Amino acid sequence: MRGVWTVARLDLAVWRRSPWALAVAVVPPLAMLFLVKILTLSVTQQPVALVVQGHGPASQRMASFIKEDDESYLLTVTSLADSKRLLKQQKVAATIVIPRGFDRAVARGHARLEYTLNNVSIDFSDDIRRSVDRSVAQFDAPHLGEGKANPYRVEINQTELRNTNVPFDVYQTMPVLLLLILNVGVLGSALLGSRDHERRTAGFLRLTPLGGWSFVAGRLLGSVLLTGAVLVPTVGWLAWRGSIHPPPGHWPALVALLAATAVLACGIGVLLGAVFKHAATVALATVIVSSYAFFLGGGFTTIAFLPDWLQLLSRAVPTRYAIDGLRQTLFYPDLRGVAASLAFVGAFAFAGLAGAVTALRVQARAA
Amino acid sequence: VRERLRVLWAGARVELELLNRRRLVVALTVLEAITFLVLVSLFGLTGSMAPTALVDLDHGPRAQAFVRELEAAHHSFSLRPMGPAAAKRQIASGRLVASITIPKGFSDDVSAGRTVSLPIVVDNLDTDLTDDIREAVPSAITAFGRHSKFPGVRVVAAERDLIPRDTGYVPYLIVSALALDALVVAGVLGALAITSEFEGRTMLQWRLAPVPQGWLLAGKLLAAAALSLVAVAAATLVVLLGYGVSARNMLGVAATLTVCVAIFTCFGAAAGALIRRTLPVAVLFFGLTLPVYIVSGALEPSRFDGEKLWKLGHASPVYSAVALLEGGFHGLRVTPESTAANAVTLGLWALVAAMLAGTLVRRRTVAR
Repeated sequence: MRGVWTVARLDLAVWRRSPWALAVAVVPPLAMLFLVKILTLSVTQQPVALVVQGHGPASQRMASFIKEDDESYLLTVTSLADSKRLLKQQKVAATIVIPRGFDRAVARGHARLEYTLNNVSIDFSDDIRRSVDRSVAQFDAPHLGEGKANPYRVEINQTELRNTNVPFDVYQTMPVLLLLILNVGVLGSALLGSRDHERRTAGFLRLTPLGGWSFVAGRLLGSVLLTGAVLVPTVGWLAWRGSIHPPPGHWPALVALLAATAVLACGIGVLLGAVFKHAATVALATVIVSSYAFFLGGGFTTIAFLPDWLQLLSRAVPTRYAIDGLRQTLFYPDLRGVAASLAFVGAFAFAGLAGAVTALRVQARAA
Repeated sequence: VRERLRVLWAGARVELELLNRRRLVVALTVLEAITFLVLVSLFGLTGSMAPTALVDLDHGPRAQAFVRELEAAHHSFSLRPMGPAAAKRQIASGRLVASITIPKGFSDDVSAGRTVSLPIVVDNLDTDLTDDIREAVPSAITAFGRHSKFPGVRVVAAERDLIPRDTGYVPYLIVSALALDALVVAGVLGALAITSEFEGRTMLQWRLAPVPQGWLLAGKLLAAAALSLVAVAAATLVVLLGYGVSARNMLGVAATLTVCVAIFTCFGAAAGALIRRTLPVAVLFFGLTLPVYIVSGALEPSRFDGEKLWKLGHASPVYSAVALLEGGFHGLRVTPESTAANAVTLGLWALVAAMLAGTLVRRRTVAR
């Protein structure tokens, strides 16, 4: 045990002298946080110009439905000429025109709400199409969803599964946290392995009276402590801000999952550091492994929503179980499946460590 | 001139020799290029087609017509027909975003002019998906009323598209991801060309070499750029053959990617000269990739995200590169600037990058 602690202390001392390494390890999670913030803007409102040419009450009513829908539109009310200019300059993605004679057309039962769409990609184009359809539905069925009869003869009776919605940026806080664990854990422990090789200190470590497992356990302990030093304040800060707010009684499961994920990340890192010795190789390999572990594990997606073959593939990705467990503890009222997730993460971490020990033994034999 | 070209070739040969010894690094770099395409595709798959249970208890003609409207509701639903019990179980376990039940008697009631209540259960865990469902169901309902020509439906939406056909989200993203590939691959290999000199302590020999240093650097970067171009070409082949995206102007695409590789190789060299260590510079490039990519209009025309982000996007060559690539592949115009303006801007970026690399490498070499 003393040997394990000595290796851990040594690795922590190395890390203390390499602040740049820690700094670059947090760059990808910070970049992901930036991505989430930008997406929060782009997945909600779309910039749209509204031109109201009709002057009657029906035109004003139609305009008011559009103006009030500030969840969907980032609206600029303007003239027809200006709206064309805005569309050309890409200051808006669409222009909606309530034409002259709209009121007369409504009276005849054949009114058209015209809109011109810059449909460069279906992502935001479809958002606008849906929003315009909803505005149109509001005109003839202003009480849609309130259990009243309407001319469309279909009424929405919507039940929400949960009491509250989780905002997009809060929902995506968990992936950012996971990427932080992955990057610091994998990069931190892998870096130590490559450093031993490049500074030729691996030979000294081999001469120490330590077993392969003890050495790996020491390295793992050092890396986990380092990851914890970054993770604990981050989680504390997020909890204080309210970005992490698990249901009552879920904190122990959340902490266990975060700890198990940290061990898993460090286990993968120890293995990568043992297999790929050069710093450049380790850097590229850790970036690639972290990327796949993050995305194929469902870091930015919900695996259950992906095609079947991707769902099957993701079963071999250890982070999938970590992410499933974290989502369950943070967003669902019960802890169903969390124990299984913990077991899978633990099993993958153990497999990673066993691989690292084997790799170190092979190296020692080769030396 | 011949002497300078000889130095250039010597520099390139040295770099190729070094890269030949680091085949694994080269292989990983190419893998990284492909990785970005995969990751971008995964991202593109998540924004639409919410998995939704369809519980049809009616099966009548009106119900079938309504299902067709749900299917056509702007890529909103991936409908999965199932029974009520399965729908309840799957939505509770988080495998579905919503469940739509068409009640028994739907067709008869609608035909008789009665309004039918449509039970919808939404897993409102993530507001992005929940909002899509909230807007998509009324969209399907309006289309149902319009196509059924029900009396009382007085207003319909009349859409006019600026572009004759829609471009799918994954084909849109995958094309702009090639600019990202050039950034990461060329950036890392360009940086590696310089950091290896610092880490191998051979920088001093550069100073002592009786040849123009700039040409030596150009030779090294030329070799790194050539290899990057091979990796980016491999990624482009994946886009063309694997994703089935065809290019309208292949020559323009090739020219854009070549200039991008040149720019990012030079920026990589500049970063390598500044940081002097391989590991941080490689991770840094990866980390900076996402923000640069996003503000450059890779997800949608960046001006739609607001003036501030659009202006910020101009601080990176990826902005012009994405515009040229989207134009070259899909014939889309994603920036207010013209193609010619974007091409000139990219050319200017290449000049700036080359000057920056030359200046920083020379200064850092002297400093060492």
